[in-house]
Amino acid sequence: MLFVIKSIFYFGPLLFGIGFLAPLTTQTIAAMGWTPPFGLSPLLVGLIFGGAYGLVAQVRERWI
Amino acid sequence: MNAQTFSNADLMRAEREIARKHIDRFPWMSVIWAFANFGVWLALWPLVFFAGLPLWIAFPIATLNLMLTYLPSHEAQHDIIAKPGSRLRWLNELVGHMSIIPLVLPYRVARLTHLEHHKNCNNPELDPDISTKAQGPLDAIWQSIKNRQPRAAAGYNAYGACLKRIGRPDAILDSVIYQIVFYGILFALAWSGYAIEAALLWWLPRHIAFTYIQYFLSWAPHHPGHSTERYGNTRSFRSILGNIGSMGMQYHIVHHLHPRIPLFRTGPAYWEMKPILEARGCDVEEL
Repeated sequence: MLFVIKSIFYFGPLLFGIGFLAPLTTQTIAAMGWTPPFGLSPLLVGLIFGGAYGLVAQVRERWI
Repeated sequence: MNAQTFSNADLMRAEREIARKHIDRFPWMSVIWAFANFGVWLALWPLVFFAGLPLWIAFPIATLNLMLTYLPSHEAQHDIIAKPGSRLRWLNELVGHMSIIPLVLPYRVARLTHLEHHKNCNNPELDPDISTKAQGPLDAIWQSIKNRQPRAAAGYNAYGACLKRIGRPDAILDSVIYQIVFYGILFALAWSGYAIEAALLWWLPRHIAFTYIQYFLSWAPHHPGHSTERYGNTRSFRSILGNIGSMGMQYHIVHHLHPRIPLFRTGPAYWEMKPILEARGCDVEEL
């Protein structure tokens, strides 16, 4: 149990990127009426942005 | 009163007499503040989700709510609402826990670490809030943001080390549970189609509030943070946002000298104590 909790916290930035930033980006794109380039869906853009930013934060250990 | 001519014992006696006048007054305003603020923040959720309240109205209200969460709990942390064993002790504990739930800050963690801050104010090794120390206002804001980065060893991330040092690692569990519930709710809302609502009613207001609270409650009153002495570790200051805009923290020096004086009495107590504080060499020049 402790291992699971520690792992969740260790991968916090990545989880936050996918768990929150991805849907936030998706819904922001939809709310603004933007059309993603290259025929990408808003969800895919959200997952790419949230996942990538989360991964960068995970590696750099900071968001900004 | 020319306090310069009084002895150390006279000054202490006079200071205590002033403090005694302001202690043990029931802080009605703080209790009403706690329930009203928490109630308004909770009400924003159904108002936005079901009653069509626009987010551009709800977001600043939520931000204000989050900024106002800490001080009622702070009163409870110092047993100002009701002492242990008294009839209204339950109210003290209820306000302490409830008001900082939106901040995702457990009451036990807040209380234990805050009391350590009082015991070891400005001590680089022992003050759990020392990481808010900064060169100036902009640096203080930047420091607060830096302290909230994932692997930062400072800010609220440093509270775990403090709790271990004082023999209360059990309280860390509260933080773990709060964090898991908080992020669980955020993720669930986000993937249910309410990411923008979650961001603007809780996530972003919480970050803004932490910056504001750390600026006015931690950095400004203790700047420059060089002294650990009773009369040197805190100062009075003049805020461009005024006393209300800085949540009464202009008079925070009185709180550090007499922590059981309610927030709404620190102003009057300060003006009565000012000659004594000047005689003690306190930094009270701005106000």
